[in-house]
Amino acid sequence: MRTWIRRPRLDRLATHLVLALVCLVTVTPYLWLLSTSLKFPKEVFTPTPQWIPWPVNLGNYAEVFDRAPFGVFLVNTVIVVTGILAVQLVTITLAGYVFARRRFRGAGLLFGLFLVQMMIPIHATFLPNFLTLQSLDLLNTRVAMMLPFFASGYGTFLLRQAFRQIPRDLEDAAVIDGCGGLRFLWHVLVPLARPTLVAFALISLVSHWNDYLWPLIVTDTPDVRTLTIGLGMFVQQESGADWTLLMAATAFVTAPLMVIFLVFQRKFIESFMFSGLKG
Amino acid sequence: MSDSTAVLTGGRVSGRVGALAAARRFRLGGGSAYLYLLPSLVFLALFTFYPIGFSAYLSLFRWNVLNPEKVFVGLENYLHLWQEPLFWLVLRNNLFYALGTIPMTMALGLFLAVLVNQKLGAARNIYRVALFYPTMVPMVAAAMLWVWIFNPGIGLFNYYTAFLGIPRIEWLYDRHWALPAIIIMSIWKNFGYFMLIYLAALQGVPAELHEAASIEGAGAWRRFWRITFPLLMPATLFVFVVAIISSFQVFDQVFVMTQGGPADQTNVLTFYIYQHAFRFWDIGMGATLTTIFICLLLVLIVLVFRYVGRRVYYEAD
Amino acid sequence: MRRHWLTALMALVLVLAFAAGGAEAQQKLLRLTFYYPVGVAGPLAKVIGEMTDKFNKENPGIEVVPVYSGDYDPTLQKVQTAVMAGNPPDIFIVEISELPTLLAMNAVIPLDDYVKKAEGGKYWDDFFPAFRENSVVRGKIWWIPFQRSTPVFYWNKELFRKAGLDPEKPPQTWAELKEVAKKLTVREGSEVKQWGVTVSGGWNDWLFEAFVRQNGGWLINPEGTKVNFDSKEAVEALEFWVDLMYKEKVGPPHSTWGSTPPDFVAQRTAMLYHSTGILTFLRNSAKFDFGVAFMPKNRTFGAEVGGGNLAIARKISKERQDAAWKFIAWMTSSENAASWSLASGYVATRKSAYDVPAMKEFLAKDARYLVAREQLQYAFGKMMAPNFQKIREILKRQLDDAVDGKVAPKDAMQVVQKQVEAVIKR
Repeated sequence: MRTWIRRPRLDRLATHLVLALVCLVTVTPYLWLLSTSLKFPKEVFTPTPQWIPWPVNLGNYAEVFDRAPFGVFLVNTVIVVTGILAVQLVTITLAGYVFARRRFRGAGLLFGLFLVQMMIPIHATFLPNFLTLQSLDLLNTRVAMMLPFFASGYGTFLLRQAFRQIPRDLEDAAVIDGCGGLRFLWHVLVPLARPTLVAFALISLVSHWNDYLWPLIVTDTPDVRTLTIGLGMFVQQESGADWTLLMAATAFVTAPLMVIFLVFQRKFIESFMFSGLKG
Repeated sequence: MSDSTAVLTGGRVSGRVGALAAARRFRLGGGSAYLYLLPSLVFLALFTFYPIGFSAYLSLFRWNVLNPEKVFVGLENYLHLWQEPLFWLVLRNNLFYALGTIPMTMALGLFLAVLVNQKLGAARNIYRVALFYPTMVPMVAAAMLWVWIFNPGIGLFNYYTAFLGIPRIEWLYDRHWALPAIIIMSIWKNFGYFMLIYLAALQGVPAELHEAASIEGAGAWRRFWRITFPLLMPATLFVFVVAIISSFQVFDQVFVMTQGGPADQTNVLTFYIYQHAFRFWDIGMGATLTTIFICLLLVLIVLVFRYVGRRVYYEAD
Repeated sequence: MRRHWLTALMALVLVLAFAAGGAEAQQKLLRLTFYYPVGVAGPLAKVIGEMTDKFNKENPGIEVVPVYSGDYDPTLQKVQTAVMAGNPPDIFIVEISELPTLLAMNAVIPLDDYVKKAEGGKYWDDFFPAFRENSVVRGKIWWIPFQRSTPVFYWNKELFRKAGLDPEKPPQTWAELKEVAKKLTVREGSEVKQWGVTVSGGWNDWLFEAFVRQNGGWLINPEGTKVNFDSKEAVEALEFWVDLMYKEKVGPPHSTWGSTPPDFVAQRTAMLYHSTGILTFLRNSAKFDFGVAFMPKNRTFGAEVGGGNLAIARKISKERQDAAWKFIAWMTSSENAASWSLASGYVATRKSAYDVPAMKEFLAKDARYLVAREQLQYAFGKMMAPNFQKIREILKRQLDDAVDGKVAPKDAMQVVQKQVEAVIKR
């Protein structure tokens, strides 16, 4: 057996190098987007890529806000995604728990049904869902944009996997000590599954931030509409796109997500230490 | 019980065994389980099962632009598809797309998660954002951006690969390269999700295991395969299932970048459904395709659970 | 501690959502919803908003609520959804090929009665014949031309100069096009640095239809009952196209509709077939002088039209339909047709719109915008038939295959003919 002499500095350097390279490739499109958002139309489509916008045009961002009430859209989007997430956290924790821990009749079938929710293409659902919301008299509301997503097969599945990772002995011990069911779930399992919950929260926020077709179909007026609908104004079938404005609008639409991500990841994932099972 | 839990809990046995057995019996009760599922089931019934049921029902009718009143035709729609060469081309495209995206996205997600999980100081935050942010860009905008990046003449992709000596590819202008272009774009867009899942799962892998193993002389690679990877199996199962599902759901990229062309080489099942349901206004056929779509995915997932799921190693079992 | 905070947050969010999204107060106004798409670049949602505001002010009993509905496709879906739910928008704009679908859904009313009385009977004749064609099915007028376009031919004068060609003389015929394109195609080794001519993909069926018209042919009869894909004219048109792309290789065989204008602006292609809708974009983005011309002819100049029309929903009260007509008549008055055209870059739909002073002034400054109108005399309506989208897919598939040399033009067109005939009968 070969003894491995650890050379931490070289390891670290190699890791940094690889990551930096991958990041560079991944980030390039975004840098290009930002660069374009600061250009004048005449500087955008040059025979060779020009990275530095010159002259700089800050007017694109102003123009974006002039075209549509993006401020209102932002507020609406925040309300909708947090509303969805808030309810999802409840439904998926409860459902993930029973699928992970309990044996009951029809568990397999029911779990399958949850998974099916992940498989449905949006185009199959928006018409029947529209009819449902119409009968509930909820058209053109923010709630309408949230309702179909309150249950999440994705989240349920994810939490099931996370809960199953936690040793059964823990629950058995807790039950014996008189702390079972919901209390155990809330006080022990949920904190242990926190990284997964945070990951799910980020994914849910991001994916519903970018919902497009459903909000478009189910809302009519700008006072409830969301960011992606505004963004869609800059892409047109007949002429291609309003390129500089599209890039500026995209930068604006993604900025809040970036901020949320930076804040969340620092607070939860990074500072979390694996401590749950000690002692 | 697994070795690792023995290491951590010190193996408290004996007197507790009887009590543990009693606890297990308690856990087998089914009543309150359904209660926990109720909130989810209400929403699922309304917004998922009703639409699917609706689709399955409509798939038995001929209802299109030339037949504005729906006519019951049983399985005729299904039979028609069986004999339609374009349908099989579409399925083939889905297969290629799946083979192109699934392994790569999963591997990238895992690889980068492991790397990012190292002690990297402040740079770590930057790396994580840089790697996760593609998922944050709205698909429509990302697709338009990549249409431009893939532009054979003036796009970034060809410009920079030219420096590496790679011959120029016409990407979306070429029937053979349009699907690969979409594949590349999708990998870029989605690997961040899997990286995040794996990162979360990695938090559940105790650092002590690694330390113990490296003290005993195991190299980084071996440590990974023998310890980390098996412990990540629950996450891998999840990621695999999600990757399959999301490979089927590719739509926006095709809609924005190629509209299924050239020559139907990027026509995938979701787009094919869209064409029938909304362009051809062939609601019966659209419903048929949707039903097939869901059944195909269900079969695949069941297979995955059966073959891969069995091998998943759960800490708790 | 954390638990309470979280619950409070959830409660707050849900309360906000329910409270803020409630139903609107009842008013004594006749409120009409107007679904519209934005198909070309520009602040068009704002313009529509301004126009409807003006109409609402001038008509106190009516309030038209404009609802931006995305691009042409999502707008159609939104309209279809609302119609199927029994609650259609009162007025809407949809892409012109969708009329057969709207008729199959029984979603629109014929407008003949309104049209006959409008503007003392002179209303309908003022619209350009090419634009009127897509409004008439089975002898009835179903909707009014509003945002219309046609494909045109763009050429890069600077590149012409560089190649030793007269920059003021665009090719007039197919033969000239081929010659000029060969001179303008620049290769470095095996790589093409500059294409001679690009026939944009994406809506290449739209452009192909124009080619057939230029060859004196037709593809689908106005009633949508007969198809003519395997005719000599259509086959020749395809042969010419394949000749350019596959044999002479002066143009990319495939492309996307949205990426070819940037190609033109970046001087990657010297000549371009595309919609008039991009003229403003080209003007704002190109650093060189370029021209707009009729698409080159073979037997004749030829084009067809595109864009969207205004329709009134069927399942609404007569009172609402009357009010809707008022709005449509207002939006399509000469003045408003002119200002809409100026704001959007769409071709003004009425002859008298070109007499409006603002329009005259604008055209005096940039006569390129006139070319599309001039070409209208050679233009026909866009092909229409029930199941048109399916026909379109069949055609596009064969076009793509022919241009890659996978099938001979004659065989391709015969395949289209056969498959389309089957589709029309299904």
